[in-house]
Amino acid sequence: MIEIRNLHKSFGSLQVLKGIDLSLEKGKVLVIIGPSGSGKTTLLRCLNLLETPDAGSLKLGSTEIGFDGGRKPGKQQTLKLRQSTGMVFQSYNLFPHKTAIENVMEAQIVVQKKGKEEARKRSAALLAKVGLSGKEDVYPHQLSGGQQQRVGIARALATDPDVMLFDEPTSALDPELVGEVLKVMKQLAAEGMTMVVVTHEMKFAAEAADTVVLMDDGVILEQGPPEQVLKHPSSERAAQFLNLLTEKEL
Amino acid sequence: MDDRKIQILIDSLWPMIKAGLQYTITLTLISFVLGLALAIVVALVRLWKIPVLSQIAGIYVWIIRCTPLLVQLFIIFYGLPTIGIKFDPFPAAIIGFTLNMGAYNSEIVRAAIQSISNGQWEAGYSLGMTRGQTLLRIILPQAARVSVPPLSNSFISLVKDTSLAYTITVIEMFQVSKQIASTTYEPLLLYCEVAVLYLVLCSVLTVAQNVMEKRLARFSTR
Repeated sequence: MIEIRNLHKSFGSLQVLKGIDLSLEKGKVLVIIGPSGSGKTTLLRCLNLLETPDAGSLKLGSTEIGFDGGRKPGKQQTLKLRQSTGMVFQSYNLFPHKTAIENVMEAQIVVQKKGKEEARKRSAALLAKVGLSGKEDVYPHQLSGGQQQRVGIARALATDPDVMLFDEPTSALDPELVGEVLKVMKQLAAEGMTMVVVTHEMKFAAEAADTVVLMDDGVILEQGPPEQVLKHPSSERAAQFLNLLTEKEL
Repeated sequence: MDDRKIQILIDSLWPMIKAGLQYTITLTLISFVLGLALAIVVALVRLWKIPVLSQIAGIYVWIIRCTPLLVQLFIIFYGLPTIGIKFDPFPAAIIGFTLNMGAYNSEIVRAAIQSISNGQWEAGYSLGMTRGQTLLRIILPQAARVSVPPLSNSFISLVKDTSLAYTITVIEMFQVSKQIASTTYEPLLLYCEVAVLYLVLCSVLTVAQNVMEKRLARFSTR
């Protein structure tokens, strides 16, 4: 489903990604962890071209794009790639001028050109799926953080993406609201959705991931099943980072 | 106040209101709508740094904002005919006020668009929307809310600025009061009367602004 080869990205003189190779099969869950500034969010944003990589190649579903010197890929290719991915943001980024259901309907109407009634029906079903029945006509600011993020997930699911991208989806939430979002994500994973998740939630990584990638300073430090990466990291640096996280949790 | 003065006040009221409806209000509405459209285009051209066009837009805003409106109107109506470009008074006024509104409001629109967080653009893009779709459906509706107070400000200014159109022979509300003042020799009376009419008109607009702000604030987080 996803093939990344030798991906590079710099912001000015700061090298954020220094040659990333990754692949992910359909229906699998990839969790990316790592200290802040390690490039994990940038890597995720390269997958739907919110950032344009400087070099390397990216294959996602049937779309294959090579990057050379930071030149932007063609418009049609970019739109196609974005339509086959859905993204959930750390700060939700819901449309504040639209109700919950309108947020979920938007892409179906504008991008998929569906009729209003059809879009509304599917959106109501998606809101029910994330446990928000009855909140259809509520504006985002009237919802809690956890509820907003679940609308965000429903919105990203609305166009039937092949891959769901999660950018620290629970980092902006109060601790007691994290669980409800993770529950929806686990449910998606169990249904066979292909997912790439950047997170600090070690428990989610341990329970839901098929593969865990530990990034540091723009490179992949460790890669493998959660059991191996989280419990028996091979490098000293990885062990240090994981220790730090476990300490924080205790 | 003697009967004659009261009679002048009453007699002059309808001609002034008529000129107000026919010229002051139409001039304001047309110039504002065209000017706002121009302002949005100019703001986007500059925000997106479209080569050549954004430089032209920058020069346009600079010239309009740094020369008097009165001079601009004179150039359009009295100046351009000498090189063969001739306008009737009303179209000349429309052009002048539209160019003026376009320049001032482009800065308002630019600031309003920039005040919407980048995450809103990214959310639109991540759903597969184009830049134009994201602009129209996501960004502009939110920017509109932010820009209502400053745009109302320039709208109200425009109402009063249209009185300058009398200098290029448009028979708008102020010109009518001026004519009556000179035939009746009652300048204080007539100019105060026309001032009250402007006051009423702008007060109505201020109320309209408040209503619009409340309506657009329904999704506000505050």
